[in-house]
Amino acid sequence: MNAKNGMALAVAAAALLIGAAACTDTTVQPKSTVTDANVFSDPSSYQQFIARVYAGLALSGQTGGAGSPDISGIDEGFSQYLRLYWEMEELPTDEAVIAWNDIGLPEMNTGLWNSQSTMVVAMYYRVLFQAQMANEFLRQTTPDKLAARGNVSTALAAQIDTFRAEARFLRALSYWHGADLFGGIPIVTEANAVGGPPPAQNTRAQVRDFVVNELNAIKTQLPGAGPSSYGRATQYAVDMLLANVYLNDSVYIGTTHWAEAKAAAADAIAGPFSLNANYHYNFLADNNTSPEIIFAITSDGVHTQTYGGTTFLVHASCGGSMNSATYGVDFCWWGLRLKQEALNFYGAGDGRSSYFYSAGQTDTVTSIPNFNNGVAAPKFQNVTSGGQSGSHPTFADTDFPMFRLAEAYLIYAEAAVRNGDDKTTSLGYVNALRERAYGNTTGDLADTSALTLNFILAERGRELLWEAHRRTDLVRYGLFTGGTYLWAWKGGQELGTATQSFRDLYPLPQNELAANPNLKQNPGY
Amino acid sequence: MRRVRFVVGAFLTVLWTASLSAQQTTGGVHGRVTDAATQQPLSGVTVAIGAKSALTQPDGRYFLAGVPAGADSLHARLLGYGPVAQYVTVVAGEDIAVDLTMSQKAVGLAEMVVVGYGEQSAGNLTGAVTQVGSEKFNPGRVIAPAQLIQDKIPGVEVVDNNAPGGGLSIRIRGTTSVNASSEPLYVIDGQPINGAAGRGPGGISINGQDPLNALNANDIESITVLRDASSAAIYGTNAASGVVLITTKSGKSGTHFEYSGSMSGSSIDRIPQMLNAAQFRTAAAYYDSVNATNVSSQLGNANTDWYSQIDRSAFGQDHNFAFSGVEPATNWRLSVGYTNQEGVIQASSVERLTLGFNLQQRLFNDRLDLKANLKGSREDDSFAPNGMLSNAAQMGPTQPIYCDTCVSGYANNTGYPSPSNPVELLHWATDKSTTYRSFGNVQADYRMPFLESLRAVLNMGFDVARGNEATFYPTFLNDQLHNNHGTQFLQNPSSQQGSLETYLNYAAPLGFVAGTIDLTGGYSYLTAHAEFPSYTGTNLATNVFGPNGIAPTLVAPNLPGQSIQESKLISFFGRATYNLNDRYIVAGSLRRDGSSRFGPDNAWSYFPSISGAWRLSEENFMKGVSWVSDLKFRASWAKTGNQNFDNYQQYPTYQASNGGAEVQFGNTFVPTIRPGAYDSQIKWETTSSTNFGLDFGIMDNKITGAIDVYNKNTDDLLFFLPAAGGTNLSNYAWTNVGSVNNKGFELSLGWKALQGGGNSLGWTLDFTGAHNKNEVTQVNPSLGTTQIPVNGIAGGVGTTIGVIEKGQPINSFFTCAQYYQGGKPVENVYYNAAGTDTVSGCTSNKRASHDPAPKWILTHTSYLTFGKFDASFTLRAYMGNYVYNNVASNLGSYAELGRGSPFNLNTSVLSTGFLQPHYLSDYYVEDASFLRMDNIQIAYTFNWGSTPLRVFGNLTNAFTITGYSGVDPTAGANGIDNNIYPRARTFSAGMNIKL
Repeated sequence: MNAKNGMALAVAAAALLIGAAACTDTTVQPKSTVTDANVFSDPSSYQQFIARVYAGLALSGQTGGAGSPDISGIDEGFSQYLRLYWEMEELPTDEAVIAWNDIGLPEMNTGLWNSQSTMVVAMYYRVLFQAQMANEFLRQTTPDKLAARGNVSTALAAQIDTFRAEARFLRALSYWHGADLFGGIPIVTEANAVGGPPPAQNTRAQVRDFVVNELNAIKTQLPGAGPSSYGRATQYAVDMLLANVYLNDSVYIGTTHWAEAKAAAADAIAGPFSLNANYHYNFLADNNTSPEIIFAITSDGVHTQTYGGTTFLVHASCGGSMNSATYGVDFCWWGLRLKQEALNFYGAGDGRSSYFYSAGQTDTVTSIPNFNNGVAAPKFQNVTSGGQSGSHPTFADTDFPMFRLAEAYLIYAEAAVRNGDDKTTSLGYVNALRERAYGNTTGDLADTSALTLNFILAERGRELLWEAHRRTDLVRYGLFTGGTYLWAWKGGQELGTATQSFRDLYPLPQNELAANPNLKQNPGY
Repeated sequence: MRRVRFVVGAFLTVLWTASLSAQQTTGGVHGRVTDAATQQPLSGVTVAIGAKSALTQPDGRYFLAGVPAGADSLHARLLGYGPVAQYVTVVAGEDIAVDLTMSQKAVGLAEMVVVGYGEQSAGNLTGAVTQVGSEKFNPGRVIAPAQLIQDKIPGVEVVDNNAPGGGLSIRIRGTTSVNASSEPLYVIDGQPINGAAGRGPGGISINGQDPLNALNANDIESITVLRDASSAAIYGTNAASGVVLITTKSGKSGTHFEYSGSMSGSSIDRIPQMLNAAQFRTAAAYYDSVNATNVSSQLGNANTDWYSQIDRSAFGQDHNFAFSGVEPATNWRLSVGYTNQEGVIQASSVERLTLGFNLQQRLFNDRLDLKANLKGSREDDSFAPNGMLSNAAQMGPTQPIYCDTCVSGYANNTGYPSPSNPVELLHWATDKSTTYRSFGNVQADYRMPFLESLRAVLNMGFDVARGNEATFYPTFLNDQLHNNHGTQFLQNPSSQQGSLETYLNYAAPLGFVAGTIDLTGGYSYLTAHAEFPSYTGTNLATNVFGPNGIAPTLVAPNLPGQSIQESKLISFFGRATYNLNDRYIVAGSLRRDGSSRFGPDNAWSYFPSISGAWRLSEENFMKGVSWVSDLKFRASWAKTGNQNFDNYQQYPTYQASNGGAEVQFGNTFVPTIRPGAYDSQIKWETTSSTNFGLDFGIMDNKITGAIDVYNKNTDDLLFFLPAAGGTNLSNYAWTNVGSVNNKGFELSLGWKALQGGGNSLGWTLDFTGAHNKNEVTQVNPSLGTTQIPVNGIAGGVGTTIGVIEKGQPINSFFTCAQYYQGGKPVENVYYNAAGTDTVSGCTSNKRASHDPAPKWILTHTSYLTFGKFDASFTLRAYMGNYVYNNVASNLGSYAELGRGSPFNLNTSVLSTGFLQPHYLSDYYVEDASFLRMDNIQIAYTFNWGSTPLRVFGNLTNAFTITGYSGVDPTAGANGIDNNIYPRARTFSAGMNIKL
């Protein structure tokens, strides 16, 4: 071979080797897109991530108002956790009715939902979304991962330990909601891989046990109550959640735990909380200053904007001849009113109904879409205790008291009465609430004999109206389904009709049964 | 990579051995083969002497070595040409030069067609490939190049966009994807163009302008479309939607200066049919009588035709200068183009300057062929302000235009919500952009001295684009007073792409057995980077800045946005073709693609193809059938991919909250970060397709044509679907689950009816016909999901009109069957799902019915010559395409009169009498079949002095015959006619000079 040929061969070989030896690495790391590979290079990401787990209760997505929703398949405003939870706990009961015809809403008023009802489906995914946010936080903050990143200081590591306990609290809270609403749902923890196979179904009792075990495991890792922990999980929030679970164990596992419920309530009562002298201040724009609130879902007109939560409650409670400015918002949404049964909870002199609005409203709800049917109950308002409007005309400042001291009193009283002990302390708690309600002692119970279970249910209705407890209470009392207690539009009839007992539980979403073959539908659906 | 190196090594070893044996020869013959009539070089000619044979190169050269000394016959053979033979005497140790000329016998067969990484003679294609040369391009004012081949190729639908410079869409053999792009891959002068953002033909697109506007239509020599998968498969993961290969012009002969230019005037074709002032007053009176209201009191006293206030007769001009030259070792072409086209809607226009440079230089005894192609452009676009068209439809015709006492000087309704005065928008709002794009490549093609049949090709290319857009809506505009309070939007997108491709090609007779072989193998590396910074300011403190600069805002502005998109595609590819006497041809190709869009498990994949052709006309049993001049059967199968979707979907990404989505911790607010759902196993959509074709020529190829049938199955379609609860980080995730099938039939026919010449009439007729049936065959096998709603419309909140449903075509309309009584739709009464009874309301009785894609596309072009005159016209017909008339549905009920202020109504309300809107009634889904005269051109060529001069006039969009009631029956790929830009009818006249 001559030199020319050799050169040519070299050229050919070079041309090919450029190809063959050239880069075959296809990896391109995102730059403007943040991934788990780089997000924790910023130490503040840990706090922002745990904040995100709280945001799961308070917000619907990553853009104030709406714009980047957490879950899909439903309008973002409708998809907000608290809004859904509130609708599921209040609309099918004797307390509330909503006017709108949006898909999935009308059946919430009557209790005649099915496994495709939009709100029911969305709530199921909200619960699991919350669990997965908490799980991902736990996956990303294991000691191994923190060590591997090498940029976590000792102080931060200690903070992260608390964050992890908070994540587990929030996961337990949602699993309590899930078990209460849906019964047996899959327990998904940080041990389940993202993108893994569909999880196995757990029984309602297993979910309940998971919640109790988790709460007991983390309680001491959480802080006590203090100014810096407002809006966050504390030991007292754990007490309240445990008290709620124990109180309903007769429903969840068929075994009563009244003593445990009472003890947990007592733990919360022992905390640094006191009744707010003015009942209604617990539901106004500056209720973050109320000494009574143990755990709140926070809201802020500027910083924490959502079309769900209290923004929904304030706007939707307003309509008819009501002046929206009175309630600190720009528009009325003409949605929520009382069913007549709830109006009748209250006796004369009970200040807890003083904010009801009846001008132009009928007492009875003859037509659900007509806002003027049923007395309006603007309990949640976007004005401060001093009468100032909230910071934003659309988005409410008002926090939602998920647990407050009054509820601890009532849990204590109910557990004591059911357990047949210590009625005297209970009487004191109940009368404390009634004296606040009446402004004097005229509403007080004379003695413990008046402290009956039926009285406590009625008192819970009065004290905790529209605070998302009612369905659970009625189920515990065996009144939610069946024909013992009828209220307007129960079962789809204006005067109410008996419903079947399987409706004590919500159905699992129909699509979910197809997506996860491990799941069995709740009986009756 | 070891395996690839081994294969390359083995390949070189074979070639090396071949060259050793070549050294035993005693004499050689070389030369060029050209066409006797055109003097153009002929490529792929088999030249043989004794037992030695070779194929000519693209420049017509052949080299025969090792020829025994003595006299022998030198034969040359090429499909479509008459064979030639010549006696030569080979002298030992010498290399003699023999040039040959050949005469064409059957037109078209030997024409070289550009294919992936090479060229092939048209007659020997094994796939469905159609090349359209510039002589058959659509005339008239063409800005986006895809317009040139509209109606020219069966199975290739060029989806119209009526706005000047608006982005055209190409659908080759139906829609193959829902959420990835269905646009084909563009390859310009051998350089693949696809952007980092993963959609469309690279570059950047502001407000949907066509990114290929950067390429002047006058610089394009030919456009080839690879329709079937086997020919496209060499482009692997970008080939599932077909491939469009564009070759730009280079110097052809001598030294020339050319000018071509034209002036044009355009007028609006059709506008939405809205009530006039008198009808509007009557409607308001009727509404008042039904609802006991006094809407009539809100009507003004004017009589305004709002469309006539915002449309115009649009002027356009186009000038192109080209200098070109051919010297022995060099040819070059330099071009400059200027286009200025107004839109028929005021404020919309495109002004474009283009530069083109092509250089070809042959070096080292023509062994090294260097080519450089360079294109650059600047495009200044102006757009009609957002909402101007919809406001012209909505604004009451009884409202006046001007208002002396108003801040803006224009009248508006008092109530709200209300439409805004479109003339106010036109006067005060601006939306302008400028886009720069340049792309080009340098290609070195080296013919190996030790083995003349072996070429090494190195191709390096770049594509850079940069743009800016500024929009401005002052605070005092009607809509801004209620929302945003003044809006500025600025963006500066940019993109860069680099490519390196290198391959070897070996083409020669096999020698030891009959037939020739053509081998290609190579490597490709593409990297792309794009940035999309943007800024939105609302609540402006001042209007003085207009679209320039950044106005202070009264409340905190949205954070500026920035998205950086990067991608890589690395590929190894190879192709082998065996051709036995042009009678039997077998080809196979294989591409291995690695993409940055997928996780490590799915980063690499193979895309194979196999195809064959059998020329029946060469068989003995066909010899007697003299009227058949050529008959070839083709069959192919291939697998191709589609990765034209967003980057980074395989990564768990975190989204930060904005200031309104923080959480209270004690007394402070903490922003949040949210991990998003993802599928680490995300991968390309894959298409397997088979194609059978028949190419034929009748009566000495006076009639030529092709019939193709195909069946394409696309799997692993990306859908955004519910994930089982607890398995991902949200309840929906993107994942590869769906399937879609396209099957169809294509026919093309060319008939040289009259030869013409002199003063006799010449007439050539081209016909195409294509039928495609699209069906979604799988939505989600593991999940009960059977329907995915798609395609939002105007009207209601989140209303969608389309559906992806198993068993139905993509984007089928999902509506309720309207019930009629006496030919009139009965309000809110529909058939039930089974169609057996009527029900009130449209909820669960929605069903998929009709879809926007035409079932049949038929086209015809005639080319006529008579003396110094020539003429052409192109007709197009769609059958079975449906359009949802969203203007009619959104403004189709009297309820529009009862809003904050009365909105104008579509004339459909006069037929329906609807009191409330019924967006989902199939009354609004209209059969949009049509026949359209796309263009007519007449030209006259004469000598002005000694200068040949051609003058022409043409009319585009001459007429449309359709039963569709809306603006345009070709209302985009999704078939939704919602205040789309109206179509223009354009007359232009111009001239060409060549010096």
